[in-house]
Amino acid sequence: MSLTSATEYFTPNGNQELLELLDRYGAGALIVAGGSFVHGLDARGLLLGIEALIDIRNLGLKQLTSDDDGLTIGAMVTFTELVQSEEVRSSAVLGAVRDALEYPPLQIRNVATVGGNIAAACPYFDLPTAFLALDAEVQVQGSGGARNLALHEMLVGLFQNGLEAGEFVTGLFLPRAPVRTASAFIKLESNANDLAIVNVAVRVSLDSAGSCQDARVAIGGGVAETSVRSSAAESVLQGEKVSDDLLQRVGEAVQSDLQPMSDHRASAAYRSAMAKTLTQRALRRALGRL
Amino acid sequence: MKKTITLQINGKQHEIAVEPYETLLQILRNQAHLRGTKRGCDSGGCGCCTVHLDGRAVYSCMIFASSLQGRKVTTIEGLPQGKELDPLQAAFVEAGAVQCGYCTCGIIMTAKELLAGNEPLDETQIRHGIAGNLCRCTGYTKIVDAIKIADASR
Repeated sequence: MSLTSATEYFTPNGNQELLELLDRYGAGALIVAGGSFVHGLDARGLLLGIEALIDIRNLGLKQLTSDDDGLTIGAMVTFTELVQSEEVRSSAVLGAVRDALEYPPLQIRNVATVGGNIAAACPYFDLPTAFLALDAEVQVQGSGGARNLALHEMLVGLFQNGLEAGEFVTGLFLPRAPVRTASAFIKLESNANDLAIVNVAVRVSLDSAGSCQDARVAIGGGVAETSVRSSAAESVLQGEKVSDDLLQRVGEAVQSDLQPMSDHRASAAYRSAMAKTLTQRALRRALGRL
Repeated sequence: MKKTITLQINGKQHEIAVEPYETLLQILRNQAHLRGTKRGCDSGGCGCCTVHLDGRAVYSCMIFASSLQGRKVTTIEGLPQGKELDPLQAAFVEAGAVQCGYCTCGIIMTAKELLAGNEPLDETQIRHGIAGNLCRCTGYTKIVDAIKIADASR
């Protein structure tokens, strides 16, 4: 890492102390959670003029709380802690989270955090796609108080998050889903550890007749400036029983919703073709969990 | 501005003055003079710099040194018991799992965490487990063999 412009490293012991630092340093402040993507941001020229690194490890944002409403994941919960939690290991609804956490190597899982992964607003990350399919809300704190953002309001653009000046992420909330709900996630990468070429997460809820009463289809990995939902694919699934013919139409609907990027990892056409295939596979995997 | 941190490296207390942007990798090599930990890509992709932080494998190039106050680091130099190699190190010798050697210390530190679990590992788990470490010489076969030897002997 370079970041030689940074002259201070703070480890605040409470929210008030953090808010004061954010106020004092403004755009010169960088909140550090696990730190595993600081290099990634720096290499893209996104950390010019950073004066103060602010480590939020002492704010107590490490809890995983499960109740009737859903699962709340503290911003500083690491991938390892999340994947080892009983609920993520066993729940069909959270299958997409489990799948997404299979990909990063041990050394990343041990430090990367849920909050950092979301706040980075990186279009190639895996968890945002999984969380988008799970209707996640981002919990945010600022000097004016706390608020929740729908995840799509947090993922504003390429490496742009929806935080106002002086705000920080405290956690993520995953609401409960109907009974007979399962999710799944699949990533295409060119080699182990690479960022996604395409990733797809789906969540399906079946009614008693086995028809799809609710569906989420989320795609990321450079298919747009952020991970996005495919409303066309979700509409195709609504009320239908899954068949080969339906999967064909779902795949085509996904493609109609996307205008992927071309870059050194893959062409737009390849991303589009893979988005279709991975969506179909992810749906089969999710249904296999019901 | 430099600040002094106190941390434990291989069981010994160290007081080290660090810049805000310095990493664990930099202080290990340049200040603690522990050169077993290698600098490869310096961006969390190759695994040469893997050490244990509070008992878990991490890329030391990604850890800010300033975050280490009061924490415990173990490097490859901390594995042997006196003059006795750690069984995992001995297994690498036995299997001939080293060619140029640049990746070796990192892979051993990663495998050390894999072997900390209770269950024996199958080949897929070993290969998946060391996916965060690159070796450009061996083709991994003998590395996987070495980890199997260490797994079987524990």
